[in-house]
Amino acid sequence: MSAPALSLRSLHKSFGATSILRDVSLDIPAGTRHAIIGPNGAGKSTLFHLVTGRLRLDRGSVWLAGDDITGQSPHAIFRRGLARSFQVTSLFPRLSVFENLRVAGMRAAGCGHAFWRRIDGFAALGARIEEMLALLDLGPRRDVAAGALAYAEQRALEIGLALVGGAHTILLDEPTAGMSRAETERAVALLRRLSAGRTLVMIEHDLSVVFDLADAITVLADGGVIASGPPASVRGDARVRAAYLGAAAEVLT
Amino acid sequence: MPGETQLPASVSVRPARRIGRGGRGAALAWGGAIAIALIAPHLFASGFGLSLLCRMAIAIVFALSFNMLLGQGGMLDFGHAVFFGLGGFATMHLLKLVDGGLALPVVLLPLAGALGGALAALPAGWLATRREGTSFAMITLGIAELAVALVVMIPQWFGGEEGVSGDRSGGVALFGFDFGSAVQIYYVLAAWALLAAALMWGVTRTPLGRLANAVRDNPLRVDFLGYDPARIRFLTFLLAGLFAGVAGGMQALNDEIMTVSNIGSAASGAVLLMTYIGGVGTFSGPVIGAVLVTLLQVALGTVTDAWQLYSGLIFVAMVLWAPGGISGIVQSHAPILRAGRGARLLGPYLALLPAVGLTLAGTVGLAELAYRLQAVRGGARAGRLFGLAVAPTDPWQWLLPLALFVLGAWLLSRLAPPARAAWQEAAAQAARGVS
Ligand SMILES: Nc1ncnc2c1ncn2[C@@H]1O[C@H](COP(=O)(O)OP(=O)(O)OP(=O)(O)O)[C@@H](O)[C@H]1O
Ligand SMILES: [Mg+2]
Repeated sequence: MSAPALSLRSLHKSFGATSILRDVSLDIPAGTRHAIIGPNGAGKSTLFHLVTGRLRLDRGSVWLAGDDITGQSPHAIFRRGLARSFQVTSLFPRLSVFENLRVAGMRAAGCGHAFWRRIDGFAALGARIEEMLALLDLGPRRDVAAGALAYAEQRALEIGLALVGGAHTILLDEPTAGMSRAETERAVALLRRLSAGRTLVMIEHDLSVVFDLADAITVLADGGVIASGPPASVRGDARVRAAYLGAAAEVLT
Repeated sequence: MPGETQLPASVSVRPARRIGRGGRGAALAWGGAIAIALIAPHLFASGFGLSLLCRMAIAIVFALSFNMLLGQGGMLDFGHAVFFGLGGFATMHLLKLVDGGLALPVVLLPLAGALGGALAALPAGWLATRREGTSFAMITLGIAELAVALVVMIPQWFGGEEGVSGDRSGGVALFGFDFGSAVQIYYVLAAWALLAAALMWGVTRTPLGRLANAVRDNPLRVDFLGYDPARIRFLTFLLAGLFAGVAGGMQALNDEIMTVSNIGSAASGAVLLMTYIGGVGTFSGPVIGAVLVTLLQVALGTVTDAWQLYSGLIFVAMVLWAPGGISGIVQSHAPILRAGRGARLLGPYLALLPAVGLTLAGTVGLAELAYRLQAVRGGARAGRLFGLAVAPTDPWQWLLPLALFVLGAWLLSRLAPPARAAWQEAAAQAARGVS
């Protein structure tokens, strides 16, 4: 069996005296779609920050496609094939939508730090961005500054930045947060299409999205993994119902 | 919309706030720049006019290199004159070698400036670009102090108080030109300015140029897209140092002398002023700023000794009320004019003019009185202003400009809001996209 796309081994993280994550271990097989759910403040975003190099681990290790990436910088981790989006939209506000996506695609297109080659000369990159614009329904907004977009459009672009670079493993932090029903459905279709052949890990509060997309679900609560497995088994787990689902339990039945 | 005429079918609805412009506009702008560079020395053929043009050419390159950092990369460099000055000294030393018989065309000497500027930017950038924002700015301030101290400490290289001087016509003549005359050196400097500007413009359209914009907007996200923001800042810093060095080399050729003052904080402040007044948000902004501020320095310098006071006031006014600089003002009106709605602004804007005039007159009166008060205390004569004998020690003389200023400012405070509202409405209508 090939190595898991992502393997978290006994992660620990505290902020000062507050322990947020205690002994979190998780294997995510390559090519699967994995949802992470849990109550507010459970440490889901913190987990992503630890994996992508935004925060340092207190203890434990992170493995990407069989390689130890613990303690590496975010750009080094990205170059190994891990891309992410942010819960709080993080774009380049003064650059156009097209330029936002192009910056995100540069590393994969082999642009390097070149200051002697025209950026427009990377034709394959340009074509890829145009294609992505169409997929994101942002074609008509191509030349608008990202900071001037409507909120839902910014969310779509946020997802686009993570998907355009050709990473094999993609972490999305609440991709559909703040989207309308229709926008969410479009985003789900897009994710289904673009995650083919890649590993997708997403934090998601919208349980219909979770059950629609995910091959497996991990529930994070009280600083640890309280359940992890295929949707059917997580759906039936008594601890999950008790710890997290409560009010949302009717979605599961 | 009710009350509006039906639009022909061919009218296109353009998306709001398009950014960037097409290749044709750029070609036109560059053609225009070359034409101006060629025609200008015929229009200003006097020795004074030519020396002014030469200073503008130098300032343009310097300001553009500064804006590579501030406008393109989001880095506020308080010590940019260090690279300008060290580039100038490097050029000066090579010029002395040429005077001593080295067979090198004088035209090529700003290359030494490029090398000097880039070499100086290497350690400076290595230190400064590890940080961003305020920390970056503070480090550059420290580097500037350090550089001045070093220059003063090593008189063998930098000539101490007198600086280093040479003779640009001392080398071998190239096709019969020895570049001793004002018009010949103008063409050399203009060619260098065009070349450097074109190269810097080119850099904005490369992967590194785009990445610099991205790091300016959101360095954190760049880190998660596979690039080290500090590395991008460093490379941008090196290029900015290189082009500042070219400007310094141009200055060395023009003045045939470099001194510590070319490195100091006043020179760094001047380039910040020009770039900001012209506008950091566009490529052409620093060019506009360099031309206008150079003009202002010279023009004001001939009529008043207090020109620094005025350029300071202009700077503060720009930061407060037009943070996009002159090019920002132009940019915010271009879509309105293109949409044919400029006429509606004419009324509210014209109504501002008397108020602006009064405020300016009051400001000038107060500034001159204040400046001459110092001069009179120092034993100098107060001179005349607007044909009147100035007596700054007479409190009554302060009353008139003070009254003008207060009246003008009051009028402005009443008239500016409607003018602003008219502009905002016109901009919103233009953005709604009927062209
Ligand atoms: N930099 C920090 N310093 C101190 N505490 C932090 C920091 N970042 C997060 N926390 C705390 O850690 C806890 C987990 O935060 P995290 O953002 O990971 O939660 P989450 O599961 O993503 O929640 P949500 O569903 O609301 O996004 C929260 O209580 C939060 O206040
Ligand atoms: Mg979160």
